[in-house]
Amino acid sequence: MLSIKNLHASVEDKEILKGINLEIKPGEVHAIMGPNGSGKSTLSQVLAGNEAFEVTSGEVTLNGENLLDQETEERARNGVFLAFQYPVEIPGVSNLQFLRTAVNAMRKHKGEEDMNAAEFMKLAKEVSKQVDLDPAFLKRGVNEGFSGGEKKRNEIMQALLLQPKLAILDETDSGLDIDALKVVSDGVNALRSEDRAILMVTHYQRLLNHIVPDYVHVLAGGRIIKSGGRELALELEEKGYGWLGIKDEASN
Amino acid sequence: MATTDNEVKELIKREYEHGFVTEIESETFEPGLNEDVIARLSAIKKEPEWMLEWRLKAYRRWLEMDEPDWAHVGYPKVDYNSISYYSAPKRKEDMPQSLDEVDPELLKTYEKLGIPLHEREKLAGVAVDAVFDSVSVATTFKEPLAKAGVIFCSISEAVHDYPELVKKYLGTVVPQGDNFFAALNSAVFSDGTFVYIPKGVRCPMELSTYFRINAANTGQFERTLIIAEEGSYVSYLEGCTAPMRDENQLHAAVVELVALDDAQIKYSTVQNWYPGDEEGKGGIYNFVTKRGACIGKNSKISWTQVETGSAVTWKYPSCVLRGDNSVGEFYSVALTHNFQQADTGTKMIHLGKNTTSTIISKGISAGKSSNAYRGLVKFGPGAEGARNFTQCDSLLIGDRCGAHTFPYIESKNKSAIVEHEATTSKVSDEQMFLCRQRGIDPEQAVSMIVNGFCKEVFKELPMEFAVEAGKLLEVSLEGSVG
Amino acid sequence: MKSAPMLSSAFLHPAGQSLPQPLLALRKDRASALVDMPLPTRKTENWKYSSKYLKLADDMAISLPADGTVGSSLAVPGYKVVFLNGVMIPEASEYPDLDGILIQSFSDLDDEQGQALAEQLGRTLNHDQAQFARLNGARFEDGLLVRLKPGAVLDQPLFVIHETTADASGSAYPRILVEAGANSQMTLVEEYISQGESAAFTNTVTEFTLAEGANITNIRLNMEGENVQHIGATGVVQQRSSRFESHCVGFGGPLRRHDLQVRLEGEGAECKLNGVVVTQGKQHYDNHTCIEHIAAHCNSEETYRNIAADQSHAVFNGRIHIHQDAQQSNANMNNKNLLLSNGAEIDTKPELEIYADDVKCAHGATIGQLDETSLFYLVSRGIDRRQANVLLTMAFINELMQQIPVEAVRETAQTRLNEFFEQTFQEA
Repeated sequence: MLSIKNLHASVEDKEILKGINLEIKPGEVHAIMGPNGSGKSTLSQVLAGNEAFEVTSGEVTLNGENLLDQETEERARNGVFLAFQYPVEIPGVSNLQFLRTAVNAMRKHKGEEDMNAAEFMKLAKEVSKQVDLDPAFLKRGVNEGFSGGEKKRNEIMQALLLQPKLAILDETDSGLDIDALKVVSDGVNALRSEDRAILMVTHYQRLLNHIVPDYVHVLAGGRIIKSGGRELALELEEKGYGWLGIKDEASN
Repeated sequence: MATTDNEVKELIKREYEHGFVTEIESETFEPGLNEDVIARLSAIKKEPEWMLEWRLKAYRRWLEMDEPDWAHVGYPKVDYNSISYYSAPKRKEDMPQSLDEVDPELLKTYEKLGIPLHEREKLAGVAVDAVFDSVSVATTFKEPLAKAGVIFCSISEAVHDYPELVKKYLGTVVPQGDNFFAALNSAVFSDGTFVYIPKGVRCPMELSTYFRINAANTGQFERTLIIAEEGSYVSYLEGCTAPMRDENQLHAAVVELVALDDAQIKYSTVQNWYPGDEEGKGGIYNFVTKRGACIGKNSKISWTQVETGSAVTWKYPSCVLRGDNSVGEFYSVALTHNFQQADTGTKMIHLGKNTTSTIISKGISAGKSSNAYRGLVKFGPGAEGARNFTQCDSLLIGDRCGAHTFPYIESKNKSAIVEHEATTSKVSDEQMFLCRQRGIDPEQAVSMIVNGFCKEVFKELPMEFAVEAGKLLEVSLEGSVG
Repeated sequence: MKSAPMLSSAFLHPAGQSLPQPLLALRKDRASALVDMPLPTRKTENWKYSSKYLKLADDMAISLPADGTVGSSLAVPGYKVVFLNGVMIPEASEYPDLDGILIQSFSDLDDEQGQALAEQLGRTLNHDQAQFARLNGARFEDGLLVRLKPGAVLDQPLFVIHETTADASGSAYPRILVEAGANSQMTLVEEYISQGESAAFTNTVTEFTLAEGANITNIRLNMEGENVQHIGATGVVQQRSSRFESHCVGFGGPLRRHDLQVRLEGEGAECKLNGVVVTQGKQHYDNHTCIEHIAAHCNSEETYRNIAADQSHAVFNGRIHIHQDAQQSNANMNNKNLLLSNGAEIDTKPELEIYADDVKCAHGATIGQLDETSLFYLVSRGIDRRQANVLLTMAFINELMQQIPVEAVRETAQTRLNEFFEQTFQEA
């Protein structure tokens, strides 16, 4: 489904990604682990099309179609979803209005009719319950005054609403207490399906206790230096990044 | 990030929708201003002697005044002798007796503007007084209003039919010599709206006036006077449009509101005068004096405005809070684009005890425009326990525009409390990225973010206007993303 | 139109001729530009609230003599330079001869040095906003030049005591220029005091230029007497990554005006401006500040507090101007005012003028009285009402007072504040 070949990307002329290769098939869950500054977040931003990052070479395709040619919103409509590490606040724009606009943009893309307000409200309420968010949140401004945990749950709620083909979860576990982690993980597990791929980016392996990945990759210095199964994450947890000869500033 | 900016720029272009000219026969004065012109104007309107005297007095004051230059705007000097001070659609008879007698071309104009002039279009429950160039053309819903005792007519009619009320209140809120433009208006005002709500009456429907400048080289000088007697309530809306012309046109209106004990006036404006083209050519000079006097205790005056038009705006809807416990409110969205310049804000003058005021101002600048908030909050020595809260926020779209805040805060009473906050920010790249990542068009994203920014003001508008305002903003922002 | 009043020509004639030739020439040149200088009126925007306090009678034009006795014998925890009516008194001054640091009076400069100085004076200021800095330029009799070579660090604060002796009517024109080389560092304390009861006028200019990485702290303490009108201007120009910190503490007078203008010209420059003003009786005080963000990535943080009692009048006008290329600017301005009496007046005008889009700017202003709930709380704990008033008033400015980095200044100011409390809050 997702195919990344020799991807190089830089920000402000500084090269961050130095040749990433990755294949993800439908139904698979991949975890990318790595220390801070290894390029994990850059990879998710590049896949979603953030123009702050410049792709200097390489190829990315989603179901055979070139992703890098597409605008951010086209990628989204073609099924790329990014759960932000730091969800952005948009004051005055209600969550409900925001989500409905997004859902209808997707529907329009698929040639479907707009969802009316009542229908959408019903759907949104259901999904918000799924991530244990009070439906009252729907009426508040997008992420406005949300706690860290609420923001993350809001991200997962959006993924459930938009039903993407590829969900990229950027540090979705950071800043969550253990209960919230459980709720978010349940949400992600609900997303798992035969025709959907999930790419999780995380610093710690604790998330992987709740969402068991099929593959684990270690990213360091802009390259994937080791790949393996679930056991790789456990080994990393036990031995630390130093085991692979990687400096990890955050864990010092 | 630069790309996002470019996209935002692309989004702000759309042509002015109301820029058509209506082909109708009209009677227009030769350009120029002197006492004879004023006398002719007064004669055409068959005004009583006192009205002419009042005009001439204002004219003489005006001759001695200087055009104000303190606002943060720049424009070539207006030649007041190159403007025509009267233009009216020509009629075979005197005044049309019913809508059927109104020039069909004119009615089409209003249809284009989407004004519910016909009875069958009255569902919105809006009574419309339409001022076309200089004269009031038709007023609908006179009957149901008359039943409630509400007077809603053109100011010219009021001069004839209710001279005592006009004499009693005209110029009491905005004196003739208040400022240069108010003096000019007092001398040459051609028409406008008069509203009188008797004691204890809640006006049964929202009243509305649409203003339109049609003829070339004419100035529009309408005058509005609204009097709310004890315990009454009225909500009044005004909308403004003008055709696209290369020359600048002058609009110098005066609005006076009077609220007696326990009375409430809600005054909403959606102003969309022609702003000029992308190069800054043409457009309306909007030099307007709007002021409300809360004379009575517990009275309340609210100004809500959404301003997207005009080449140059100079406008400070104000409240003089004289009555104890009276309330003044100002909710404003001012959007400038291309070469538009706006210097707008409000004055809240607290004189009575426990008077309160709220100011929420949202300025949006795009293109090469300049958008300034200028406000005065003043507590007199007698303003015991008075309160003001002010929030003015500016949003910048593009790096060639300016956003300015000039608040004046003056207090002479220790128990009065004022709180003022202001922020300036831009539509952030992160917000744009989030929206686009969720599949939303950049254009739609900007409009959604800007609408969110203005939400506190929009919720103060009557429902139909709120929708119109949101759309107007969207239209005005086109091609601004940058 | 009624013609505006003009500055009397009596003010254009300086007395002392002891300056080097180039400075005398400069002064003459500046004086010629002052002919027909209109005095500010209510219609002059930046004097709107204060012009009525300005009373420059002809007898105040006379330069006050510099041969009086120095009244202050303040022991200071640092170096000291004493000026009497704008002229340096070497005998009363104590400062070191340090490597890389020049501290010198204008009149001790030779012609060549004078020429170099003449080219620098007045360049940090926008004279259209600080009109009276022009008058100082035409009238200064002496001045203090401080030059820090790159990397030089002054180990102790330098106190500059400006004393005005108002034994008879007259005026004084103190002037300071600090040129701070790259990465140099110093703290300059200016104290303005006076003796004598006649009507006098002090007109000051202080200028700072900060080269890359320089770090300057300036404390300004205005405690002149009841009959001294004071109009001062401070101009600051900052290059890359330099830091300027200012603490102004002012007590009111018949007319008190301070203009503080900061230009952030180099990327990454930063300034922090704190101010406290206290007025009582029929006193007046007007602070006008202007921070210009000219380069990108600069920060400014401004906090001013005014307290007005009795029939006094305090004015604050703060302006932040973000130029078009000053992207990524951060600017915050906060002005809070305490009105202690119904006869008093406070006017504030926090302005933002912004021409760059990628900025974070905010300002806030409040005017109010002491919080009744807090007062009640204190009183309910057995604290007497007068003491409660003092505590809460002090709390209003305490944060700013505590930030003043020189203890001796805090103490001097506190002593004067205590007098203010004594006079303002009577025993119940």
